[in-house]
Amino acid sequence: MRGLLAVILLDLKRLWVDRVRLISSLIQPLLYLFVLGSGLGASSTLGRSGYLHYIYPGVLALSLLFSAVFAAMLIVFDRQIGFLKAVLVAPVPRVAIALGKVLSGAIQALVPATILLVLLPLLHLDLAPPALLELIGSMILAAVTFSALGVATAARFRSTTVFPIISNAVLLPMFFLSGALYPLGDAPTWLRVLAHLDPVTYAVDLMRGAVLGHWAYPPLLSLAVLAGFIVALTWLATRVFAAGEDT
Amino acid sequence: MNDTPALEASALHKRYGAVHALRGIDLAVWRGEMFALLGPNGAGKTTLFSILATLLKPSEGSARVLGHDAVRERVALRRRIGIVFQEPALEGKLSVRDNLLLMGLFYGLPLRVARTRAGELLQTLGLSEVAAREAQKLSGGQKRRVELARALVGQPDLLFLDEATLGLDVDARRLFWAEIRRYVGGGGTVFLTTHYMDEAEPADRIALIDRGQILALGTPQDLKNQVGGGVLLLATADDAQAADWLRAHGHAPEPSARGLLLVEREPAAALPRILGALPLRTLRAEVHEPSLEDVFLKLTGRTLEDGAAPPARRAGARP
Repeated sequence: MRGLLAVILLDLKRLWVDRVRLISSLIQPLLYLFVLGSGLGASSTLGRSGYLHYIYPGVLALSLLFSAVFAAMLIVFDRQIGFLKAVLVAPVPRVAIALGKVLSGAIQALVPATILLVLLPLLHLDLAPPALLELIGSMILAAVTFSALGVATAARFRSTTVFPIISNAVLLPMFFLSGALYPLGDAPTWLRVLAHLDPVTYAVDLMRGAVLGHWAYPPLLSLAVLAGFIVALTWLATRVFAAGEDT
Repeated sequence: MNDTPALEASALHKRYGAVHALRGIDLAVWRGEMFALLGPNGAGKTTLFSILATLLKPSEGSARVLGHDAVRERVALRRRIGIVFQEPALEGKLSVRDNLLLMGLFYGLPLRVARTRAGELLQTLGLSEVAAREAQKLSGGQKRRVELARALVGQPDLLFLDEATLGLDVDARRLFWAEIRRYVGGGGTVFLTTHYMDEAEPADRIALIDRGQILALGTPQDLKNQVGGGVLLLATADDAQAADWLRAHGHAPEPSARGLLLVEREPAAALPRILGALPLRTLRAEVHEPSLEDVFLKLTGRTLEDGAAPPARRAGARP
């Protein structure tokens, strides 16, 4: 347990001293919401305000997804400079290292997403306390899922140049497939099939359900899918850390 | 030093695809011993080091360190070893104190104990003045001492050093090795890898490694005795031509950066004979006791310097 906390504490301490990373992570979701929301909302049949409400969960997902995966880039950087070795030779179970990285990445992703949460009144989105709690719970689950995705991927990379390129190539399609910006019900069949395989879809749906009160998938199914992704991806990351320098 | 093994490797092999990096390593290091693994770059030192330090799995063979299997009992073993890596392993943006404090938490120490331990190490290693400084703002020598402090956080029984003083100036190296001697004096065991003979020289025993195999193992004096005589160094106006002439006259010269090296049973007697007969102008001639470099040269026909040592290092004082 101490090892797990040490991993989390190390990463958070590093985020705290890296003010540039901290501030840019706070600004990014505001840009997503107001630029994307205003731009696309103007041409939406839902109107600017209606569309902002509709894409709000999508913007939350976008912020959580990119923040969580890019928090995992620290693993690649640490491997590249040799710092990861110092962590890997510590007497900490590999699952604690993987889980610690997943949780620290999730916390780092939740920090900017919290800014979006604070902006709810500005968007004239009045959520009752149970709905707000539901939204926060969904955000936490989404953050852990996306962080697990980032950690499982980053654990295999050795180059900080390649990792962002590959991540972007994967993350953007995942985001666009998820129905974050449009209703999946109106999408072509092939897109709906692909969306079923995308964890972002379930995360967006849980958050949208909390905000708008209606879900495209049964919430229990979404919870189970996200939990399954978390377990599988954390297991994959654990295996890579257990292999040490053999990866 | 006692004769209980701190570390035992048996028939260790490591393959990376077609590359056979370790080819059957058998080794025992005793508790309280300072043991050096000496060899040129690419000899397999870091691979062997990484297996013993739980970072790599061997392709074949086994290794026990402090009584623990280095593959199956890794977590238990990691509690008892400390490692100073070749590359820096500090978080540059965190202070020296925070680096040590966090490593204490990684070793399972409660926060208060980790804080006390960090303070002790800072004081012992003369780092108190830079405790609040970002690790990235330290000098090379200070960074190495912080790395050593980091490795000592868990109060290890065995310390691994992988080319630990690479790139340091003479004073920084001297300070670093003084700390290592203090650690060994306190009953600790040290396993170090290096490709500099002056770093290996103070070790109780040295294993010479090349191309994944241990070529020789013994005390520095045992190894030097294997040369069986003394060494002549000849620098001439044309070393290539001189080497041909020497070979034609029953000698076995080996080229080196400083000239031709010849191992002779009676070097003092051989030198005037050679100088008198050599049909080339001699620029310099030296006779010296065999060094570990000469042992390596005799065993492999190559010098340790084949790994290209930085010139500043060669002038360095012995640790």
